[in-house]
Amino acid sequence: MSDLAAVLTIARKDLLQEARGRAVTVATLFFSAVTLLMMAFAIGQDSELLRRSAPGVLWVALAFAGVIASAQSFQSDLEEGAFDQLLLYPVPRASIFLGKLLANWLYLTLLGLLMTPVTLVLYGAHAGAEAWLLPPTLALGALGFALIATFYAALTANLRAREALLPVLVFPVVVPVLLGAVRASEATLQLSNAALAGGWLQLLGGFDLVYLVTCTAIFHLVVEE
Amino acid sequence: MPAGRASLPMGDTGVMPASGAAPAGPDPSAAPAARGRGRPGGPDRAPATPATPAIALDGVTKRFGRELVLRELRLEMAAGRVAVLKGSNGAGKTTLLRLLATRLRPTRGRARIFGYDLQRDGDEVRRRVGLLSVLGGNYAMLTARENLRLATTLSGLPRADIDAALARVGLAAVADGLVRTFSSGMKKRLGLARLLLVDPPLWLLDEPFAALDEDGRLLLEDALSAARAQGRTVLMASHELERSARFADAVLDITGGRLVHAGRPA
Repeated sequence: MSDLAAVLTIARKDLLQEARGRAVTVATLFFSAVTLLMMAFAIGQDSELLRRSAPGVLWVALAFAGVIASAQSFQSDLEEGAFDQLLLYPVPRASIFLGKLLANWLYLTLLGLLMTPVTLVLYGAHAGAEAWLLPPTLALGALGFALIATFYAALTANLRAREALLPVLVFPVVVPVLLGAVRASEATLQLSNAALAGGWLQLLGGFDLVYLVTCTAIFHLVVEE
Repeated sequence: MPAGRASLPMGDTGVMPASGAAPAGPDPSAAPAARGRGRPGGPDRAPATPATPAIALDGVTKRFGRELVLRELRLEMAAGRVAVLKGSNGAGKTTLLRLLATRLRPTRGRARIFGYDLQRDGDEVRRRVGLLSVLGGNYAMLTARENLRLATTLSGLPRADIDAALARVGLAAVADGLVRTFSSGMKKRLGLARLLLVDPPLWLLDEPFAALDEDGRLLLEDALSAARAQGRTVLMASHELERSARFADAVLDITGGRLVHAGRPA
């Protein structure tokens, strides 16, 4: 089978499991909504401050959700020895990484699309003329988070302290993605110079490309103990 | 006897301590034609030539942190033979099987499957190896049929007869049931169905009889007899020596990570 077919098969497997189990959906939806609410309460009634905080809070909530989703996607593999079996199929291990990445990316982008309007309402922000840049910002930002979280989730999957270790490993590396995604979102939400959005998106795309190539190339090293 | 060495002539049981001069070349005849990418054409799953051992271990050592789990294992197992790995809990049986399945990297030493180096030729090795793990290796939130379809798709066998495999292991009636509703024995049967469908030249079985009821055990025995007749190489870790040894050419005793003895089944 082609590498692409293997990628799609593995992504479909992960999405099908999630559609049935909904463990990640429930956890991440609830977590993101609670984060947005708590931050809104913490910031208070200053409407300008709330509006300016919206992009940052949205992406922090998505970053935490991405870590939860990636960890859970490997958890279902590790139950009952299925991951050993998956790694034994005669497909490149890069395909396994890309399949799991694809599922996590799609899920995180969908979560971002759901959480964006909630954030706009809660924080009183408005999408301006550059609103069309929001979907690509979400897609590129979610890809960056999914890449790093999926890679480190694989690295820590067999460790007893994986729940504690995963965020510690992911968040320092994810800072460039967070910065790019927040700045691009600010531009699209009329919080900064709209002309800057394109530049931040290019930067985000560049980070994604570097992470994509690196993580795919060395994934085989992290799944062999 | 030197640590980690089994002692029985290969000609007798097909299993012996390595002399350090195992044939180096890969054995293309052990390649299943339909599994995975880039496979040569020709007859499916022809048995390996006697010159190339199905399994060759040369000083294989595996360490987890400070814990030495496998110690200097040296072994050659001829293609088409069946061997049972016996040993107490924690002796290193599962670690050896996971290492041969390319899930673990040897800390030291070299391991080859049909002449292919475990680390350098991982893709080639994976085309030739199937694993039945203790828990069955299934996805709980997929149905039995979906689990097998995943296996056949990723193994490059899209036309494999999944319904026939499910019927053979007695799971036809629950083909569309989620695996999370299955008992341990049913999960083991599903793992066996996957192995039968993919049917690689080398079978690695980890406690294959565990959790199976009497019917399931008979099914497994039939499968082992057929595998043996068709020239598959089988290495199984088992505590049920009496039952598993019926099919075996050799019994390998692993103790404290060392291969201390290889002999004919009693």
